[in-house]
Amino acid sequence: MAILDFLFGWMENVDGKALILGFSAIGAGIAMIAGIGPGIGQGFAAGKAAEAVGNNPEGGRPATIVMLLGAAVAETSGIFSLVIAIVILFANPLVNQTGTAVVLAASALGAGLSMVAGIGPGIGQGYAAGKGAEAVGKRPKLQSGIVRTMLLGQAVAQTTGIYALIIALILLFVNVLNK
Amino acid sequence: MDFNIHVAKVIHIFGIEIWITESMINSWFICSFIILGAVLIRLAFRNPQKVPSGVQNVVEFFVEAFGSFTSSTMGKYGPKFSSFYGAMFIYILFFNLSGLFLGPNIVASTPLDKQLPFTFMRPPTADIAVTLSLALMTFFMTQGYGIKSKGVKNWLKGLTEPIFLLTPLNIIGELANPISLSFRLFGNILGGTIIMGLYWNLPWFALLGIPVALHGYFDVFAGVLQSFIFIMLSMTFVSGAME
Repeated sequence: MAILDFLFGWMENVDGKALILGFSAIGAGIAMIAGIGPGIGQGFAAGKAAEAVGNNPEGGRPATIVMLLGAAVAETSGIFSLVIAIVILFANPLVNQTGTAVVLAASALGAGLSMVAGIGPGIGQGYAAGKGAEAVGKRPKLQSGIVRTMLLGQAVAQTTGIYALIIALILLFVNVLNK
Repeated sequence: MDFNIHVAKVIHIFGIEIWITESMINSWFICSFIILGAVLIRLAFRNPQKVPSGVQNVVEFFVEAFGSFTSSTMGKYGPKFSSFYGAMFIYILFFNLSGLFLGPNIVASTPLDKQLPFTFMRPPTADIAVTLSLALMTFFMTQGYGIKSKGVKNWLKGLTEPIFLLTPLNIIGELANPISLSFRLFGNILGGTIIMGLYWNLPWFALLGIPVALHGYFDVFAGVLQSFIFIMLSMTFVSGAME
C-alpha cells in the first residue's frame, strides 16, 4: 500500500499535462494488444482455406474468396484498436480538458485497456471464416448460403467489440467521470 | 504530419453553422467524374445493338456480373436491389481509391503547397461522417424493408425472439450493426492513409520502388476488399431482415 500512496502522491505533483500525455502513450500501446485476436483468427482462417484447397482443388477459388471475406471482417477489431490508438496519439481530446489530471490520465489508459476486448471477436470471427472456407471447399455450390450465414454470425460476434469501442470513445470524448 | 479533416469554409444560414469540409469537396469532385462517366457511357449507348459490341459489351458484362452477384447474395430480392448496390459499390470504390488521384487543393498546409492548384486527395471514406451516413442508409433500409415485408407486428415480435428477456440485447445488436459497418470502412481507409503519409515522410532513398507495393496493398487491395465487404454485409442485413 505504501507504494500506491507514493505513486498517487507522485502523480499529484507531476505537471497535469505531462501526466495525461504519459498515460495516453501507455493507453495507445495497450490498445494495440487487441491485434493478438485478429492475428490468431486470420491465421486459423488461412490454414483452413489452405486445407480446403488441398482437399478439393476445384473448390479452391470459392474457398479463397470466402477466406478473404471472412478474414477482412475478422480484421475489424484490430482496426477499431488502431482508430482508438490514432485518436489518442494524433487527436487527443483529453489534453485540452479541464479537470483532475489523474482522472483524465486514467481515462486515456482505460480507453486503451477496454480495446483489449477486441481479442475475442478477432479469434471468433477468424474461426468462423476458417470454417466457412472449409465448408465452401467441400461444397462450392452452396457458397452464397454459407457466406451469408458466416457474415451474419460474424456481425453478431462483433457486438462485444463494439461495446468496448463505445466505452473507449465515451472515456475519451464525453468524460462522465470528471464533473 | 497533418491527418485532420480540413474545413474549407463555414457558412452561416439562419444562425446555423454549416461546415464545408475537405471530405465534402473531394466527394463532390469524385461524384462529378462518376456522373460524367455515366453520361459518356449513356451517349455511347444511343443505339443499343441486339448483338453487343465495344462499349456496350463491356458495360453489359459488368452489369450482368453484378446482377448475378446480388442475386446469389440476396436470393429472390437480388434483381430489385442490384442497381442500388451497384451504385453504392462504385461510389465507395472510387472514394477508397481516390487517395491515388489528384484533386482540388483546398487547404494548403505549407507555403510550397499553396502554389499548386491540385494535390493528392484525402479519401472521403477516411471521414467517419461519410461512412456513418452510408451505414445509416443500410440501417434504415434494413428496418424499413423489414417492416414493409413482415408488417409492424411481426417486426416487433422479431425483436423479442427467442425469449422476451433478450429484447434489449436484440435492440443493441441492431444498433451495433451500423457502428461496426461504418468504423470498419473508416478505420481501414484512415489507417492506410496515415501509414502512407508517414511512409512518404522518410528520406528519399527509402522511397525507391517500395511505395508501389505499399499503395497496392493499403489503397488498392484494402480499398477494393473493404468496399466489397461493405456492400456484402449491407445486402446480407437487408435481405436477412426481409425473410
